Parts: sequence; C-alpha cells; structure tokens
Amino acid sequence: MNTDYADLAALTRRLADIPAEFLGEPSVAGHGEMAVAAIVGDVLRMHGLHASVELLTGFQGRSAHADRNRLALAAVACWLLADDALIGADLPHPALEDVVGALVAEMAAITPAHAFVHDAERREELVRALLAQLGLRPLGETPAQAQDRLSAISAIQRRALLAASRQAEKRAREVRAALARKLAEESADKWTRE
Amino acid sequence: MLDFLRRHPSAPVFRNASGNRLQAHEVEAQQAFEREIVDAPMHATPGIPPPWVYPLIARMHATVPHYRQRGSPPRAFDQVAPVSRADLSADIAQFVPDDVPLERMIQFRTTGTTGHPLLIPSHPVVAARYAAFHKRALRRLGIEAQYGAGQVGVVLLGFQERCFTYVSVTPTMGESGLAKLNLHPNDWRDPLDRARYLDALAPEIVAGDPISFTEYLTLPLTHAPRALISVSMQLMPALRTQLEQRFGCPVLDIYSLGEVGPVGVFDAALEGHLLLQPQLYVEILDRDGRPVSPGTAGEITVTGGFNDCLPLLRYRTGDFASLRPSAHGPVLIGLCGRQPVRFRALAGWINNIDVTHALEPFPLSHFHLHQGADRNVSLQVAPNAMHYAVPARAALERLFGAGTVVVEVLHAADKTLQYTSSLEGSQA
Repeated sequence: MNTDYADLAALTRRLADIPAEFLGEPSVAGHGEMAVAAIVGDVLRMHGLHASVELLTGFQGRSAHADRNRLALAAVACWLLADDALIGADLPHPALEDVVGALVAEMAAITPAHAFVHDAERREELVRALLAQLGLRPLGETPAQAQDRLSAISAIQRRALLAASRQAEKRAREVRAALARKLAEESADKWTRE
Repeated sequence: MLDFLRRHPSAPVFRNASGNRLQAHEVEAQQAFEREIVDAPMHATPGIPPPWVYPLIARMHATVPHYRQRGSPPRAFDQVAPVSRADLSADIAQFVPDDVPLERMIQFRTTGTTGHPLLIPSHPVVAARYAAFHKRALRRLGIEAQYGAGQVGVVLLGFQERCFTYVSVTPTMGESGLAKLNLHPNDWRDPLDRARYLDALAPEIVAGDPISFTEYLTLPLTHAPRALISVSMQLMPALRTQLEQRFGCPVLDIYSLGEVGPVGVFDAALEGHLLLQPQLYVEILDRDGRPVSPGTAGEITVTGGFNDCLPLLRYRTGDFASLRPSAHGPVLIGLCGRQPVRFRALAGWINNIDVTHALEPFPLSHFHLHQGADRNVSLQVAPNAMHYAVPARAALERLFGAGTVVVEVLHAADKTLQYTSSLEGSQA
C-alpha cells in the first residue's frame, strides 16, 4: 500500500457511521460519561504510541465552557484514527499527537464537534485536515489538489465563522450597552425587590 | 390617580420616576398570562425533568452565546453542566439569547451581599409578569387582587437611608395606583405623614421585606391591607405573627431571586415553600453538581423561567433546601440562603437551622450570627430589636453554653449574611 495516500471516501463514510459511543457526553468536571483521555490513550496505543501523562491530562476537562467541544471533537478524531488502514500506515507519532491536540483544538474553537459528523462538507473538512496533518493525501489527488481543496473548504467555513464571530462580539457589546442604560427601578414596575 | 399620589398633603418626597412601560397589546398579553399562570398545574415531579426542558436545551445551544460555545446540545438533561452566579457575573451578555430585541431592554441590579453582584437583563413585559406569580400565591389563600381605577392596588415599602421611590399605575389592573415608598423619616416632611399617607392610599396589597415591615408595624395606621407580601430575606415566624395579628391579614413569605423571580411561597401546612412557577424546573444538587437523593438538602438549581432575556439552564442559585413532593406541587423544605453553616455547640456540631429555631420567638427583621475561632458567639441585631437582647442571648446560651454569647447592634441597614463562622469544619 502507498502510505502517502488514504481513501477519502472510506474515511468520510467511516465518520458518517460513527458509533453513538463516540458522540457521548465528554467527562468534564464530574459531568458526562465519555472518558476522552482514555479513548485518546487507547487509540494512540493502537498506533504504537504510549501517550505521556502530560498529554492525556489535557483531555481531562475542567470546564464545560472551555473544554467540552474540544473533547467531543477529540473523540470523533480518535474514531477516525482507529481506522485499520491508518493504523497500518505507520504514522509519525508527533503528527498523531498534533491531530488529537492542536488540530482538534483549532477546529473545535470554531465549529461544534458533531457538525463534523452530521454535515457532509464538515466531514470532508475534518478528514482532509486530519490527513494533511498526518502527511497523507486523498487517493488520486496531487499535493496541490489536496491542499487547494482543503483550503477552499476551510476558507469558506472560516469566513462564515469569522462573520458569525464578529456578529457575536457586536451583539455582546450591544447587550452590555443596553444594560448600561438607566436602572430598571426607573424603567418598569415590579411588585417586589429581591 | 398619579396626581392624587404625588400631591396628597402627606405625600413623601418622590425621588424618581418609573412606570410599567407596557404597550397596549402587551397589557392584554399580560392579562392572558396572569389568567394562564394563576391556575396552571405544577407538572414537574422532583427528579424528573418535564418535557419542555429538551427543546429549551436545544434552543439555548443554538441562540445563547455561552451555550453555543459549549458545542452540540447534550442528549440528556443531567449532562448539562450547571452554571453559577459567578458565571453570570463574569459576563451576563453571554447568557442573553441572540434574538432578544434590545431597544426596550432594562436591567435589575441584585445585591452582592450574598454572592456576586449581578445585572439582570429584563424587559417591561418580564417585570409585569411578577404579578402573575404573586397573584397565584394570593389565590391559594382565597385572595383575588380586585382593586381597579381610582384605588391603590399595591404599595411597595422600603426602609433605607435612600432608595428609589415613585408612583405609577398598573394598566393590567384597571390603572389602579402603585406607589414605591421609603419609610425612612428622611423622605417625609413629618414622620407622622407615613401613617396618614398610607391610610389615605388604603392599598389592597402591601409588599416589602422584614426590615420595612418592622418599621411598618410601628406606624399608627388605621387601614389594613388584604395581604402583605414579604421578600428579599428570611421572614422570622415571630415577625410574621406580629404582622398577622396587627393587620389581621395573611402574610406571604415569598422566596424570590432577581435572576429567577418568585420561586416559592411559604405554606405552614406544607412546612416549606411551595413552588410557584409551572415553567421553572427546580432540582437539588450536591456540591459536585449531581442530583441528591430524594429529601436530601442541597443547592437549589433552576431551569426555565419567565425571563426571555435570561433563560436559565441548571442555574445554581446559591440557596439551599431539600425538595419534597406534595399534592399542590413540589415544596422546598428548610430553605436557607448560602451554604449551610455548622456551629460548635454543647451538643456537638449543629447547623444554622437549629440556630434559627432557637431565635424563632423573636421578631427580628434581620440579624448576623458569627462563631469565632474561640467558639464564642456574637449575635448582631437591628437597633430596634435590642430589647430582645437578653432573651435572645438566653436562648442561644441554651445551645452554646453559659457566658459564650454576646448580643450587639447590627449596623447594616439592608440584607446581610446571616450565619458565618471562623471555626474549621463549619462549612456543612
């Protein structure tokens, strides 16, 4: 097998067929049943990598707000990495750590994790980004074609999310400004003061 | 009506202006809301989330920035990580849904006495909705608020050095009058005007807190309202009895929070606060955020509510109680604000509820009890309650031991932390 290539279609299908167990609630601060650190450790071990305590500690969430989406996406990425063809590809360990670490964190910062499962274009984006991080490209594509397609998908998403992010910041400023207006006691009747 | 309220010869100095700010179509909607709420069944069974929470979770993950950043909605209610007052306080804008119009947004400010100070986003319609739950509580006692045009429906009493005072009318109640008054003598040309003015207004309902009601008791009034509504802090049983006997009317002790509105009304027969909001799911969580076993005390945590500007999803209130079902709906038992505190007494460790029981015979408007590292106890009470110092000390020394208790003047004029301790192990 040519280890520079991977079957994009098979991996996106794999993603679409992800078992429910990988879409569970990540364990964060005592809530949730999916121990993502254990999943990451197990999958990396399948690739011959014994993950450090330091690495795995990063998958023990402390805050739902800060960690939940990232951990949920890490579980999804692990499902992809557990693919037999990828396991047989003898992938570089630093790249594997970067997939579950930096890549997942970057993508989770802008997209809900399960969108990468339920949305066809997001599935393709995740698989392509993962392959690129691992030094692989889709079967039948040149490096330039693979890079162009990934850039295009990511750019559209990033533009949309950048616009959404700006809108959200604008909205938050407007809410704070509205709240800074005169006190409600001067604005509306209420029978009681709490 | 406004003229009558403002220009009465005994009227106080009104420092502010306000109004209901409802638009015509909102008045009808509010009346419909009140009709719906006053008799609505309390669906929720303790421990079982009602069906409406699941669309709420989905909607909040789609439209509320804080939850959108958490990612996809969880599949189960108990997988939703709770939030606390500190989360809201850090940036309240993150909890306001994207689709809430801002043009008429208003805000209420909650005190920081018992936690982080908060600005609560609201709206004139939301403010008007409080009345629906107060009327639901009144209806349980067979009282229907009836006053209309030409009458004063509600007077709100405060007693502080300075507070907002104004007059208004309530369009949902036939434009009946509403007055927010400060009983502090600073606001009156003559302290005797307070009783003259209140008798002239002859309000149907008087709302206040234990501090303002203690002052209200001292006035030479001839008029009695049909009901009193007390909020904001614990209403000691002896004070409630004094008010009931003095005015010959029921006194509603309502547990209400700025973030949530009226949550429950005390019912002596049920031995606790009966929940009031059909669209508010109340659960009790332990310190790890897990539901407690039935009947166990823990932190009151709420979901839903009637404030469209601040829908709540497993919001930890910082107040504590246990929850028990009843034929009338769930009841909060042993309500106390803040984390329960333990005290070292003659019998070993006791908790603050035991101390409250010891102080029940005394009509204290508010107080603060502290146990020092040396196990000695200081009880601070309002200046006008110092004549209870000797019997209160005796009651406490039966718990803590002879010579271990002093009673002093409390200088805080407003809500204050009731129970504190410097002893290790005092956090229950």
